[in-house]
Amino acid sequence: MQDAKFLKIGLGTYTALFIAFLYAPFVVMGILSFQQGPEGGPQFPIIEWSTYWYQHVLGFAPPSRVAPLPIGEALARSITLAVATMIVSTVLGTLTAQAFRRHFKGSGFVFYLVVLGMMVPGVLLGLGMALVADQFGIPRTWWGTAFVLHVVYTYPFAFLVMLAIFNRFDGSVEEAAWALGVPPGRTFRKITFPIIFPGVLSAMLFAFTLSYDEFPRTLFTGGSEVTMPIAIYGTFAVEIHPNLFAFGVLTTVFSFALLTVYGLLMMASVRRAKVRISGLQEEIE
Amino acid sequence: MTHYDLELVKLRKVYPGGTVAVEEFDLSVKRGEFISFVGPSGCGKTTTLRMIAGLESITSGDLVIRGKNFTNVPTEHRPTSTIFQNYAIFPHMTVRQNIEFGLHVRKLGAAEIKKRTDAIIEKLELGDVVNARESALSGGQKQRLSLARGLVTEPDILLLDEPLGALDANLRKSIQEELKILQRELNITFVFVTHAQSEALSMGDRVVVMNAGKVEQVSAPFELYTRPQSAFVARFIGRNRIIPGELAEVAEGRASVITPLGKFSGVPSFKQGAASVGQKAMLVAPSEYIDIVPAHEKAADASFEKAEGTVMTLEPVGHVVYVGVELPGMAPMRIEAYRERIEGRNIENGSRVELRWKPERATIVLGEM
Ligand SMILES: Nc1ncnc2c1ncn2[C@@H]1O[C@H](COP(=O)(O)OP(=O)(O)OP(=O)(O)O)[C@@H](O)[C@H]1O
Ligand SMILES: [Mg+2]
Repeated sequence: MQDAKFLKIGLGTYTALFIAFLYAPFVVMGILSFQQGPEGGPQFPIIEWSTYWYQHVLGFAPPSRVAPLPIGEALARSITLAVATMIVSTVLGTLTAQAFRRHFKGSGFVFYLVVLGMMVPGVLLGLGMALVADQFGIPRTWWGTAFVLHVVYTYPFAFLVMLAIFNRFDGSVEEAAWALGVPPGRTFRKITFPIIFPGVLSAMLFAFTLSYDEFPRTLFTGGSEVTMPIAIYGTFAVEIHPNLFAFGVLTTVFSFALLTVYGLLMMASVRRAKVRISGLQEEIE
Repeated sequence: MTHYDLELVKLRKVYPGGTVAVEEFDLSVKRGEFISFVGPSGCGKTTTLRMIAGLESITSGDLVIRGKNFTNVPTEHRPTSTIFQNYAIFPHMTVRQNIEFGLHVRKLGAAEIKKRTDAIIEKLELGDVVNARESALSGGQKQRLSLARGLVTEPDILLLDEPLGALDANLRKSIQEELKILQRELNITFVFVTHAQSEALSMGDRVVVMNAGKVEQVSAPFELYTRPQSAFVARFIGRNRIIPGELAEVAEGRASVITPLGKFSGVPSFKQGAASVGQKAMLVAPSEYIDIVPAHEKAADASFEKAEGTVMTLEPVGHVVYVGVELPGMAPMRIEAYRERIEGRNIENGSRVELRWKPERATIVLGEM
């Protein structure tokens, strides 16, 4: 009895601390983003509540001594890069996982080769790529060298997600389709893909978020047109104002919106799977 | 042109790991025949079926369907349909969509697709669930859907791999009958894999018994049950009683074996020149053909073969009694007898009894236990 009580208190404290550390920075950031402007700084106390810094980020505030965040273009670049990375990595990851469903010679080696992309420290990979690019006179750009490294980095994640999905996938539905005279390509589009779709969504989410806030690889290979994380880091190095916090809150809200869409899509496809499983259980009982 | 629907010629399968799953598989199936494959687990039934379907490559040998060689033709171009044990229903499609799926790749008009789908839905009584998905179907409905989906494309041959394995005993029985009726109506060749010999015997026009990748015997059910051609079949199929011995005489349609119980004659399962005197052989008789009587009731009837032993156990189960009989020089034998043939006839533990059977009902098979 006594032990159980202690365990409960211990676990409770642990959970509370965990949540505090997870959310405290965000809560602080959220509060400070409503600081008065443009005089108010990024620290307590709150002089007066206002939405000044939100207007500042969105470019509605009158010009002042605080320069606007240089994130407009950077944000566009980051999103473009993340979307492109997401598409390429998910397609590659899905196809590679598909190849791994049958054992082939050297599959172990290829597996480690692919996974290496997420194991090698980003700083090393970024630096290496930068050196190679300079050696061969290849310009360093966010849409070239950095894009390649983003794919190298996120593709293993997409691959691993899809590998797990295919592991649980029962291939007899594909065989059933072939046996009905449906060629493999059409079978993949009409049978395999709809069934693995929840997994593809997860792989996309991974690739997108990893690319969206990727830092070390982009820092070395992105060239002069910076992406969002690097732009933010740049402002941080000079002087920070609460407009950064307002921006943080906005991007977080955006991320949650994305996650919600993901969740809804997921629920729609899982609901079908769930009904399927419960049907199976009824049958067993 | 041959008149066979399906011919397997020296079919062989070696898996990448080196497992020889199927060897020397020869079989010719006539149009509209219902063929069952039966054999112990791992004997290569599924592998053979998958080679016919094109889901597994053929290592060597030939697969001929209606006179055309299909050995290296991919699955989707073979005139076969496969029914899987787990049904493999497409979970994201309704019953109707499942059935239509295979028709869309054939060059058929929408009206023709609808006509064929409606017809098969009616035939397999799926009308109430056309818009349901797999999750809402019962085991029997899934079974019928997988049949409908496989038959709507009008295959020459339907391949079924233990299709009733997942059903409970009652449903199994009724679907067995439905399947048999359906097959007769459609006059399509069925190749039906099962590991339940009762199913193989009750459904097949002919039964293929497999063991360790090879065909042991291909016979009609009654023939298989009463005339095994190998020691394996004698043990695996039916309820045979076996007396091991050595071959004593071989003549046309008649042979005899010397056993610890005496010399018995029976019908040889081999050709006259195929065996020599002194070779290991066994006398095999289905349990149903062996009668048990008290030793003092010995009949003088010379048309019976006889062996004497002592009752060791009596085990009544329903209307039959299993009698364990100790016999000199061999393992005890379990005899099945109707209750009224035992009770009130002085057959008790320790009594001397005589086992008797007609020699023409017994088969002599080469080999050892
Ligand atoms: N994909 C595979 N790779 C390697 N060996 C295999 C493969 N599939 C089957 N085998 C082997 O081939 C042999 C025959 O297997 P198969 O599945 O054809 O047997 P089966 O008669 O269908 O058995 P069961 O009654 O258990 O279904 C077995 O020894 C099995 O281990
Ligand atoms: Mg099998």
